[in-house]
Amino acid sequence: MNKEEILTQIEQFKEDGRKFLPEPISEEILASYNIPIPPASLAENVEKAVKCAKKIGFPVVLKVVSPQIIHKSEAGGVIANIGREAKLREAFPRILANARKYNPRAKVEGVYVQKMVPPAREVIIGTVKDKQFGPVVMFGLGGIFVEIFKDVVFRVAPIDKEEARRMIDEIKGLAILQGARGEKSIDFASLSEAIANTSQLAFDFPQIEQLDINPLCLYPGNIYALDARVILE
Amino acid sequence: MQIDLEEKHSQVQCFFEPQGIAVIGASQHSEKIGYQVIKNLQEGGTFPLPHLKGFSGRIFPVNPKADQVLGLRCYSKITEIPERVDLAIICVPARLVTQAIQDCAQKKVKGVSIISAGFGEAGTEGKKLQEGFLEIAKRAGMRIVGPNCLGIIYPPRHLNASFAPFLPLSGKVAFISQSGALLDSVIDWSVKENYGFSAMISYGNKCDLDAPDFIAWAAKDPYTKAIALYIEGLNDGRYFLEIAKKVTPIKPIVALKAGKSAVGRKAVGSHTGSLAGSYQIYKGVFRQSGVIMADTLTEMFDMAKTLAYQPLAKGNRVAIVTNGGGNGVMCADYCEELGIELPNLPPELIEKLDKSGRMHPAWSRGNPLDLVGDAGSERYEIALEAVMSSGVYDGVIVIQTLQTMTKPLRNAGILVEMQKKYKKPVIGAFMGGVITEAGTKYLEKQGIPNYNDLNRAAKAMWALIEYGRYLRRRKV
Repeated sequence: MNKEEILTQIEQFKEDGRKFLPEPISEEILASYNIPIPPASLAENVEKAVKCAKKIGFPVVLKVVSPQIIHKSEAGGVIANIGREAKLREAFPRILANARKYNPRAKVEGVYVQKMVPPAREVIIGTVKDKQFGPVVMFGLGGIFVEIFKDVVFRVAPIDKEEARRMIDEIKGLAILQGARGEKSIDFASLSEAIANTSQLAFDFPQIEQLDINPLCLYPGNIYALDARVILE
Repeated sequence: MQIDLEEKHSQVQCFFEPQGIAVIGASQHSEKIGYQVIKNLQEGGTFPLPHLKGFSGRIFPVNPKADQVLGLRCYSKITEIPERVDLAIICVPARLVTQAIQDCAQKKVKGVSIISAGFGEAGTEGKKLQEGFLEIAKRAGMRIVGPNCLGIIYPPRHLNASFAPFLPLSGKVAFISQSGALLDSVIDWSVKENYGFSAMISYGNKCDLDAPDFIAWAAKDPYTKAIALYIEGLNDGRYFLEIAKKVTPIKPIVALKAGKSAVGRKAVGSHTGSLAGSYQIYKGVFRQSGVIMADTLTEMFDMAKTLAYQPLAKGNRVAIVTNGGGNGVMCADYCEELGIELPNLPPELIEKLDKSGRMHPAWSRGNPLDLVGDAGSERYEIALEAVMSSGVYDGVIVIQTLQTMTKPLRNAGILVEMQKKYKKPVIGAFMGGVITEAGTKYLEKQGIPNYNDLNRAAKAMWALIEYGRYLRRRKV
């Protein structure tokens, strides 16, 4: 998507009174800001899901897409580690059933089929509009670190790669990213770029109230945004 | 954003170097603010202290009900004053402020300092009043400090244009404070501590001029070498960021942000939203703009003073010279916590000191360099000379505990001499009281900060390292 297309999407959702952009759209927006997303596509039925999984290659993860379901895992709307077609055919209806059970009135737009990526060190990148500073970007270690230790750092958006790198250097858990216990260092250049690009996205679109990339998976040679949430004003 | 600091400076200079000052709401009654402000202008303060001197420019009391205030002729309206007036200080009740501002506009006053309260902080009615007179001022090209502020204090000109109790000592730190009450207490404390200020600014409701405007002013003020900032909130965060980015390469800013406990926004849909507390964001903004963040008032003033008086450290390597083992260890702990490196003494330095024949056989031969308790001044001198000339260290913390043979004043003299010779940061930690004071007073007088607490000494050194590092990065 180019900037105009993103704007059209945003306006459309605002018009429909929808604050939460669906995951596929959120990720497409990130991809257009050069933040790598694992291969994925939206499937309305099981046949399309199979076709899609074959194209991107197993294993895949299925995620429910519904405007009424914000917390997908809580709703049983995420099934990971699907290694072959038979499993997928069994998982697809299960996800739909879970969604119905969780919220009978939920309108399901489809199931997002995404390539599974190997286990990684996980971080979170986010943005939020602050009353005094406007869009600010946040970076921190993901999972338990963000929940318990709140090991996060902020900057006023937009920032460049160098400033993003300084953000990374400020977190207490930096050693985890550098590689503890024989682990390799993560790809700092790609991570810095992703933080800078996310900050630019938040700056370019003041309609975005909050944004979460959680988790962003880090590897020695590349990175992947596994889940994204864009909340409009 | 294009920012011209020179222009910003000249816009508010009328508050610091006014030609004539009118006090609207001047009073003959000693308990009134309108009396105290005149007294402060005339004598520098309402308490008799030896360092006080009054403002040498013209002072014009304004009050329709009085003929004279404190021996000065009183005018019924500011427009009746025949001479030039740059600055008006307003201390009339809130409902009379708008008229006063109108009169000031007519008189072509450049700056107005509104001490009166009862505006933006006092509900919709007050807010409306505030917006109303701000509009008048804008149209007339007048700048406003306040309302609901203490005013402006500029010791280099003996200008106490405020109702703060008295002028502080003259120094090199400009203190910009959103809280007026805090400023009052700092003044009283600072005189006792011999801590001097180049300016003190209380800007209250910041209906016009806000912290960034005064930071820009201080950047171009010839007396200010470091800026201390107490801040709760800002009108325009991005304006602050731009100004701070522009100023920190010229002068250091040390900031204390209040409101740490304030949590993230209430309507939360994301992780980021729940974590985005104002304090966390300010922390990021300070890092982004090279502002050094302090956790406590003591820390803020310690760092600001050190930055104002000491040369910056060219690197992160520090030596600790001490005559007390325990004190040295404690200091090393604090340094480590702050990421300050304490490189070992190089072998040739150990050899040099061993060969000097002046060291105690049990001296530490390490860093901290423990001279041992019976160290006289000569040992301090030899050790400091060796450490500061070695090229291995970017700064020295010198600890002195009071032993029977310790000569605080002589030791202090050695520190001053060494500092002059090698132009590297020296922080004193002459620890003690009644006897040690002879040395610490001399150190302070010569611009070497001294601390009774090793944590403070380490933090002061850290500030010189941190700001030095920032400047090197900005220059690349």
